[in-house]
Amino acid sequence: MTVKVEASHDAIPHNTLLAVGIVGSIICIYLTYLNTITGLELFSFFGGLGAVIALIWGTSTIKRLCSYGIGTGVPSAGMVAFGAGIIAMLLGTKFGIASPIAALIIAAVAGAAFGFLADNVLNMKIPVLMQSLAELSIIGALTILGFTAMATGDFTFSALSAGTISIFGFAMSSANASYLGGGIIAVAFMLGAIAIQHPFNAALGPSNTQDRTLMLAAECGFLSMIIMAVISFAFIAVGAALVGLLIAIIGWGYTYTQFIELSKRDAAAWLDAKPILETEA
Amino acid sequence: MSAIASKPAGGAEMPVMGAAIAVVLLLAVLGIGFGLTIAGIFPMAAFYSLIGIIIGGMLVTFSVHLVPVGGAPAAMGQAPGIATGVTMLAAGAGLAGLFKGAWAAQFSYPVALGTGAIGGALLMAITCMLVNVTYVFAMGIPAASGKVNKDPLTGDTQPEYKSQGTEGHGLPFISYVGGVLGGLIGGFGGTLIYLSLYDAYLTGIPALMGTDVESVMPLIVSIAGIFAIGMFLVNAVLTAYNITGTIEGPHDPKFKRFPRAIVASAVASALSGLLALLIIVPVPF
Repeated sequence: MTVKVEASHDAIPHNTLLAVGIVGSIICIYLTYLNTITGLELFSFFGGLGAVIALIWGTSTIKRLCSYGIGTGVPSAGMVAFGAGIIAMLLGTKFGIASPIAALIIAAVAGAAFGFLADNVLNMKIPVLMQSLAELSIIGALTILGFTAMATGDFTFSALSAGTISIFGFAMSSANASYLGGGIIAVAFMLGAIAIQHPFNAALGPSNTQDRTLMLAAECGFLSMIIMAVISFAFIAVGAALVGLLIAIIGWGYTYTQFIELSKRDAAAWLDAKPILETEA
Repeated sequence: MSAIASKPAGGAEMPVMGAAIAVVLLLAVLGIGFGLTIAGIFPMAAFYSLIGIIIGGMLVTFSVHLVPVGGAPAAMGQAPGIATGVTMLAAGAGLAGLFKGAWAAQFSYPVALGTGAIGGALLMAITCMLVNVTYVFAMGIPAASGKVNKDPLTGDTQPEYKSQGTEGHGLPFISYVGGVLGGLIGGFGGTLIYLSLYDAYLTGIPALMGTDVESVMPLIVSIAGIFAIGMFLVNAVLTAYNITGTIEGPHDPKFKRFPRAIVASAVASALSGLLALLIIVPVPF
């Protein structure tokens, strides 16, 4: 029997975060499609917001999974999320307008299969493992897709693999200058993976609180979003990239101040820390 | 959390029901791959690539069991091994090999695979040596295994060097050898995954985009590389879940658990390999 040890009781139940995360993230990624409809590139930043929403949901999932003691450290869950997520996301981009939905379905199937293997073949015997790995794969796929949409303003395979360079004023197509060919996807992969590994790993402990952990997740997400906004200058119009950068910096500044506030609140409350309650699952 | 709740080391037995379902899943994925080849959607090379990916994934999984992983206890000198998690070490060794192998991919299969294996082994050898330098000269503790009384290779006795209240410390000779062997096999496996994908994309992606190989070369290398990293991480984490925590190397009792990880890895590699290869199939969108 696996013992469940909760870091803290959640004010917002995990299922609410799951529903909000999955719907919010998909809607935000789809809002970048306004780029194609209006011909502007102004709506790219919605991709980054979708990634941040997915990361907040992912932190809650990692907390739920790690309350069972997986014995290998919190970051491993983030690595499997993004390893499975990038495969699903890249295959998903081939489906044009249906890309986010396709990535979600492929990631769910792959993640559930990996969860089944870990639970039943490797004898982990953790009740939530299969669902958690499926969720984490979806989170990985949606986060990378969101960052991709933010950097390039599009989420289809043909757009990601096409790039132009200008030589003496002539525009020439070159795969080297594209999002995929330039290897920018590896940067998006790592930025997302660091952002999902860090929050729960840093905030767990006897005085863990849900709002502080999730605020740290949002802060990490916006920090990665700043870097993706800088990268987006290479792919989209300067004005649109500036809007993205501005939103990312404002979001990071707000969440960072809030996180410091919450840390100060919890630090004062740490004096009457209680032993961790062990509950039988 | 995990330190408090972690359960005592489980047995090495393979669950029959789970393994049976896993084998059926593996055959199903292989069947889909073969069916797509028969239907003419995949070139024959893509099916061979799928086999290569599965073998590469199984090698990666096996190699991770050889690497001495100490985790947080090793950082405090209370357990033998390198003071980090299974996933990070496996990723370090495998990706170092993969990058070197990818550099040599333009030559031939044996050269690239050999370069990848040496790259992984070199990284592990340097890491293991610096771990022991730190332990012996900075922390002032000798290398001693907590799991065996005699080193299986050198025959040196261990218990008299082991501090009370610890599970051993430092990197004994057998752990060092295990680490280098792990890097060697892991780098080989990671490079095999990369080369299999690279070969399939070399014909698949130009056909998909209706252009010649030269103009899409960056895409081929980049997509094969990022997929190889993804599969490597999936395999490394599944292995980490099998080991649960720390392992000393090939002499550790936990090493006997590797068969079930190889079954799981074969299925996981087959599934992710099939998904990765499907990217060369044109979709009407």
